[in-house]
Amino acid sequence: MRLRRSSPWALLGAIVAIVAVAVTLSSFLGTVFIPPLTALRLLLGLPNACAGTSVSPDLCTRWGEIVWQARLPEIVLAVIAGAALGISGATLQGTFRNPLADPFLLGISSGGTIGAAIVFDFHVGQVAPDLFLPLFAFIGAIATGVAILAVAVSRYGTVETLLLTGVALASLLSAVLALLLLYNPSGSQQVSYWLLGSLGNASWPVDGIAVGVLLITGTLLSLFGRELNLMQLGGDVARSAGVDVRRVRIRLILLASLTTGVAVAFTGIIGFVGLVSPHVVRRIAGTDYRYVLPGSALVGAVFLLGARDFALLVYPTSLLPIGIFTAFFGAPFFIYLLFRRRAGSPMGSL
Amino acid sequence: MVPLAWLVVAILIVSGIGIAGAAVYFATTASGATSGNLTITDDLGHRVTLPYDPARVVVLGPSIMDSMYRLGLRSHVVGVDCYAPAFGGLSSDYSPDQIARWNLSSSMCIQAEPTFDFEALLAATPQVVLAATFVPAGALQEITDTFRIPVVVLQPPTLSGIEIDVSLLARIFGVTAGANALNTQLATELYNATVVGANASSFPTVLVTYYVDANGYWTFGPGTFGQSLIELAGGSSIAANAAFEYPELSGEQVLVANPHYLVYATGFGLNESAYTSAPFWGQLSAVQSGNLTGMDSSWLTEADPTMILSGLPALLAFFHPSSLP
Repeated sequence: MRLRRSSPWALLGAIVAIVAVAVTLSSFLGTVFIPPLTALRLLLGLPNACAGTSVSPDLCTRWGEIVWQARLPEIVLAVIAGAALGISGATLQGTFRNPLADPFLLGISSGGTIGAAIVFDFHVGQVAPDLFLPLFAFIGAIATGVAILAVAVSRYGTVETLLLTGVALASLLSAVLALLLLYNPSGSQQVSYWLLGSLGNASWPVDGIAVGVLLITGTLLSLFGRELNLMQLGGDVARSAGVDVRRVRIRLILLASLTTGVAVAFTGIIGFVGLVSPHVVRRIAGTDYRYVLPGSALVGAVFLLGARDFALLVYPTSLLPIGIFTAFFGAPFFIYLLFRRRAGSPMGSL
Repeated sequence: MVPLAWLVVAILIVSGIGIAGAAVYFATTASGATSGNLTITDDLGHRVTLPYDPARVVVLGPSIMDSMYRLGLRSHVVGVDCYAPAFGGLSSDYSPDQIARWNLSSSMCIQAEPTFDFEALLAATPQVVLAATFVPAGALQEITDTFRIPVVVLQPPTLSGIEIDVSLLARIFGVTAGANALNTQLATELYNATVVGANASSFPTVLVTYYVDANGYWTFGPGTFGQSLIELAGGSSIAANAAFEYPELSGEQVLVANPHYLVYATGFGLNESAYTSAPFWGQLSAVQSGNLTGMDSSWLTEADPTMILSGLPALLAFFHPSSLP
């Protein structure tokens, strides 16, 4: 593909357009059938939106609530979480110069799961469950990120040390999770659902918080494109070009942890979005991180939204954990990408 | 490169957004339902305002459905809880007997697990939702706060709490006479059990199991309805001092305890043959002497009138056949 050399920004623009179209089309899909034209009218807030249907005014009102209060917040959360995981994945792959790095490699997801398990097992915050569950998951995720950072700022903070510390932490936290579930098995089912990811916690306040955080962290991450490009050439080259590699690495890990933490807090564990999205962008827009970072956010958004829509098309009356479908799509697609990798790409070989 | 000061500012802004979001969240929560002509306090201590005698009710919990049916309120129910329709639907939450007796259909299915389906709930256009606590608290909060549908949580903490919930339903639907009659039946069964217990010369050791695997027997531990039911029926559970509410006893533990009586739950695909693979099954005295019986799992696990009217007498008759009044 040669498109990347001519107009990467045009490609990003095309992906933005795809996101917009996908959001509109996604509002037609849900567990309750609403005629697409009616759904569109409801979405646009047109009067007499249910004209031409035989539904009662009461049901029409409920349809409006379904579109605006149930379906649209879920769609927006899919876009935000997908974007957050996508840009985090790109950041970490660039930071560690490792094509297998993703937001969960450092144990951030395990930390979030511990936070969620504490809420489920010890019935924490029953007065405001919508607040406490994401709050504890976020704290768990960020605490893990901070532990990694502690290693990063030490004199042992090499790329290899960081990666292996993340793997060790993930194993340790898995053991803690197993102990928690042994202590109170009644929470195990909810934890298992959490581990599969879900968009069911979506609401406008949740979306508002997530959008706000992603706008800030995503924008800041996107500013590191030049540094990441230089870091791909090796630490010495980057340093000779004026990049303080250690400091940049710490900041990138911090921002990626924040971004991932928000996604994990509201959706649970959704795999493969952070891993696959950067590879897709590199395939179509090249390896320049000035484009890979925002591009991964956009591809991640489309990927997660597509997984949601696919799940509803296959099982139209059921809401199933979204992580199942990202894995169904992501794993084969990732393998396909690996087999089609381009020789000579800095991220092309494992 | 982004300077550290910018990062600190970003973190402060992110924190600010979180706090602002929390404020919006609590402001939303505080407003609650405002219309209706009846205010009650549910089993979680929440004061709920709801329309009197609502015609369209969603019931999220088989135990609540049991009370509704016994009070003659089936026609008010427009939706019930279920698992994902593609993976079990109604039959995951309700036994075939319950589905037939209560005339439930898949069109009433409102997915409560693994993800709560708000769309299905809204499409049922309920005036009130009656829910047990297995429904995620976050989903119940969303129903109340976002969709302004009153939610009444009915989860009795004890067996006697079942009578209280029947009375609460009577207030909501104005069926006092029916509730009084039902509560009289419940009180009679509880009294009979007390008399049998008081006259019993001994409490036989029992194991009531609802699932087995290669490691052992899953049973009811301290603080559960199953445990209360066993004690009320004059049995002494071998898991009475277990560390967990729903422990799994190993085959060795059960063999050493060697209970006089063994009760296994049936329904949802379970029958006696499913239990025979449990460790040391054939070596247990209760099995060898025939002191074992199957019992509908809903009688043992769902805190509702059927637990007292059917489950309790069945256990009493099994543990103390000669002591019944």
